[in-house]
Amino acid sequence: MDAFLTSRPVADILGGLTNGVIYSLVALSLVLIWRSTRILNFAQGAMAMLAAYVGFAILAPTTNYWISMGVAVVAGIVLGGLTERTIVRALYGKPEINPVVAMVGFLLVLESVAAAIWSTVSRSLPTPFSIVDWQLRGRPVAMSPFALYEVVTAVVVMVVIAVVFQFTRVGLQLRAAALNPEVSRLLGVRVHRMLTVGWMLASGVGAITAVLVASNYFTGLTPTTMDGVFAFGFIAAAIGGLDSPVGALVSGVALGIAFQFVGDYLNSNAIILVALGLLIVSLMVRPNGVFTRRAQRRV
Amino acid sequence: MIGVSGLSVSYGAVQALRDVSFSAAPGKITTVLGANGAGKTTLLRTISGLVRPRAGEVTLEGDRITGTHAEDIVRRGVGHVPEGRGVIAEFTVEENLRLGSLIVRRSRAERQAAFERLYGQFPVLGERRRQSAGTLSGGERQMLAMARALVAEPRVLLLDEPSLGLAPLVTAELMSTISQLCATTGLTVILVEQNAKSALRIADQAVVLYIGRVVADDRAEVVAADERLRQYYLGLVE
Amino acid sequence: MRQRVLVSSVVGVALVIAALDATFGVPTTRLRVALALLGALGVAALGGLSVARTRRDHPLVTRVLVTVVVVVIALVATARLSSNVDTDVAIGAAMTIVLLGLSFLTGSSGQISLGNGAFMGVGAFTVAIWANHHATSPLILVLVLAVAAGAAVGFLLGLPATRLRGPYLAGMTLAFAVAFGAVLNVFGSWTGGDSGLQLPNAENAPRWLVHLYPASTASLSVNSVWLAALSVVSAGVALLLMANLFASRFGRAMRLVRDNDVAAELVGISLPRARVVAFVVSAAYAALGGALWTVVNNAVTPSTYGLALSITILSLVVIGGIGTIPGAIIGGLIYAFANSLIGWITTHTGLNPQGNVASQLNGIIFGVLLVATIVFAPMGISGALRRLWAHRSR
Repeated sequence: MDAFLTSRPVADILGGLTNGVIYSLVALSLVLIWRSTRILNFAQGAMAMLAAYVGFAILAPTTNYWISMGVAVVAGIVLGGLTERTIVRALYGKPEINPVVAMVGFLLVLESVAAAIWSTVSRSLPTPFSIVDWQLRGRPVAMSPFALYEVVTAVVVMVVIAVVFQFTRVGLQLRAAALNPEVSRLLGVRVHRMLTVGWMLASGVGAITAVLVASNYFTGLTPTTMDGVFAFGFIAAAIGGLDSPVGALVSGVALGIAFQFVGDYLNSNAIILVALGLLIVSLMVRPNGVFTRRAQRRV
Repeated sequence: MIGVSGLSVSYGAVQALRDVSFSAAPGKITTVLGANGAGKTTLLRTISGLVRPRAGEVTLEGDRITGTHAEDIVRRGVGHVPEGRGVIAEFTVEENLRLGSLIVRRSRAERQAAFERLYGQFPVLGERRRQSAGTLSGGERQMLAMARALVAEPRVLLLDEPSLGLAPLVTAELMSTISQLCATTGLTVILVEQNAKSALRIADQAVVLYIGRVVADDRAEVVAADERLRQYYLGLVE
Repeated sequence: MRQRVLVSSVVGVALVIAALDATFGVPTTRLRVALALLGALGVAALGGLSVARTRRDHPLVTRVLVTVVVVVIALVATARLSSNVDTDVAIGAAMTIVLLGLSFLTGSSGQISLGNGAFMGVGAFTVAIWANHHATSPLILVLVLAVAAGAAVGFLLGLPATRLRGPYLAGMTLAFAVAFGAVLNVFGSWTGGDSGLQLPNAENAPRWLVHLYPASTASLSVNSVWLAALSVVSAGVALLLMANLFASRFGRAMRLVRDNDVAAELVGISLPRARVVAFVVSAAYAALGGALWTVVNNAVTPSTYGLALSITILSLVVIGGIGTIPGAIIGGLIYAFANSLIGWITTHTGLNPQGNVASQLNGIIFGVLLVATIVFAPMGISGALRRLWAHRSR
């Protein structure tokens, strides 16, 4: 049993799970925004990065991890709401490439502004738990207290989001506003407010994700920390289907594990190529995602 | 009590309503008739606040509601069942009702009691409360859409072509439901219909629109008996 | 009508003055004569243009004349400018080619690509790899090879594009842009890994051009004129081809695809084919631009061709004006002089040129301009100018 737990495939699965939940969270934030506003938020990663800087670069010397995390989440939520109220609101009903372009531009602004304020030098974040792997009879298991904390946090976030959407008044309104805005208005749902709330929730999730990513010893926090993570999160969301939160979660974890095997047995440079290949193949076979039930298209 | 006076609406260069005036009394069914493109749906959408008029106003019990947002008009007691029913197919029957009762402050128990009363009125919905609305038949969806509007206890109910796509038998059943509702609750009903025959049978008052103008506004029996109206505007030729 | 003639005459006179000025600035009689001739040709072209009938009845002639005029203006300018500025012009003209490609893809088919920086990289590395294996190939062959390589990669990526819409496609091309660096690393023995490649032999000015200048002229400045001219002429050819493509049956079909793809299919346009072709054209143009960059810089580094470049390309297309040829030229000019402009801003605002803010000014300005353009003037500078013009002449 111990030999099994410390074996190479199990190490890959555990390591992949730790990365995969991050992709799942990024994918989840993308899906939240896509479902409500039909916008693919290319600035998602950069917004999350900025929130993490607000939490950790401004407060780091004076406070502890948990307060900084809280500040980052609040900053993410505020930034999400502001973005929706200002840039995004001006683009509803415009050709679908306009918001894509705008969010790409916003990504550039956010990354440049962060680099102008905090420089491009990587900043390491404090970690609340040990990053040293647990040992089993002298051999490491590919899971540290910190990695476990990452997985648990991701699961908690997902459960909270699911409960909010499925069982609360605001969740009901969020879903209704996304599915049929006009009918929702006729029933008294303040649709514009719901769109803002959707962006706030997604950015809050993004902020938590960025803090988890930046806590990784090897990357740290830089203005471009989230670029690669965002690409993988997008691939997970696209494969799972931008309309499907469950698809986003499952394909995020699946990709994380698959990448770990590719990196371990092939070459770490091959990971992004395999990802691109998987994305292309899956989009060729199921253009609307593996987990989306029916092909729908609004003419 | 809904009052419409001098209402004009245009979409760009197209004028959909021109100087439309009429009133709808509580406890009565007022039907709005006319051919495709006469402006019937636009009229309802303007009353419920989805469309801004260019001129004129809508009053609810004497208070002007024009210019108020749709989300607030429904809070003042105007329920609108849109064309094509507008049930949210991805939601269960009960979730659709929960959405309908958002604007009413009540406890969980009171809300459940209100749902049960509606399930009593529309038994088929009670049987399918956990089913998604997408699995319902056309008639059942129409029932659900009406129930969802009624759960907010409106004073005015706007119905847009409820009989569209329904079998004659189902339509008859639906019309009698509307008629009973109106008689027992004192609701003001504005019923937009292309199916003039069945609408005139249950309506008290009838307004006929022709390319955005009111060409007749009279008691339903009078409109039903008017050969000229029947022939030219309502397409009822025997 | 009268206004158009008036404006054309004013521009014509300005051109003559510019040509004369340039002529007296250049070293030898032969070049002076050549430039005077070209200037006269430009004036004739604009004169022809001023007659609107020419434009309607002979669209091809008009397009050729306009292209010649634009190229001549640029050539006259390069012969007169310092070698630093010449290099800026060369880089900007190559960028114009790239912008034309993306502008065609986005403007005519409504698709967005965040991978055109990587397509440029394909062209850039093709040139460098080829030159390192076959030192003495003629330049034109190398450029054609680069275009072919770009088209081939564009075709491969274009295949999935046939089934994808808007944001999905943008995301896929973004993944390609991110993956490109990894591809270069995987083939590190060919591509030189992180440090990239140097060209074994720099592209030098041909003998006839050198002879036009006095012997005392530094070869560096003659070479920079040559490189700028090379880029500008390539851009002219690319521009002409694109103008014809825009006006062709295929171009019209593409615009129908953008405006209403369902209707396009109903009138018998093959959507998958149209989308793949648009993608291939845009990739080939990008590759040509990248190839010229390698020739001009005499080297290629992988970090140039990252996601940031793709975003810059998209910004320039949008700011210039999506789907218009003047928009691509405006974008190219902005790119050519952005660095000097930002340097000017830095010195005049007293920013520390080595500081964080100064180094990020480029991204901040481009990003803000991009967001502002898409929100307030989605048709970009050329769209705004056109609206202003239409307003005036009414």
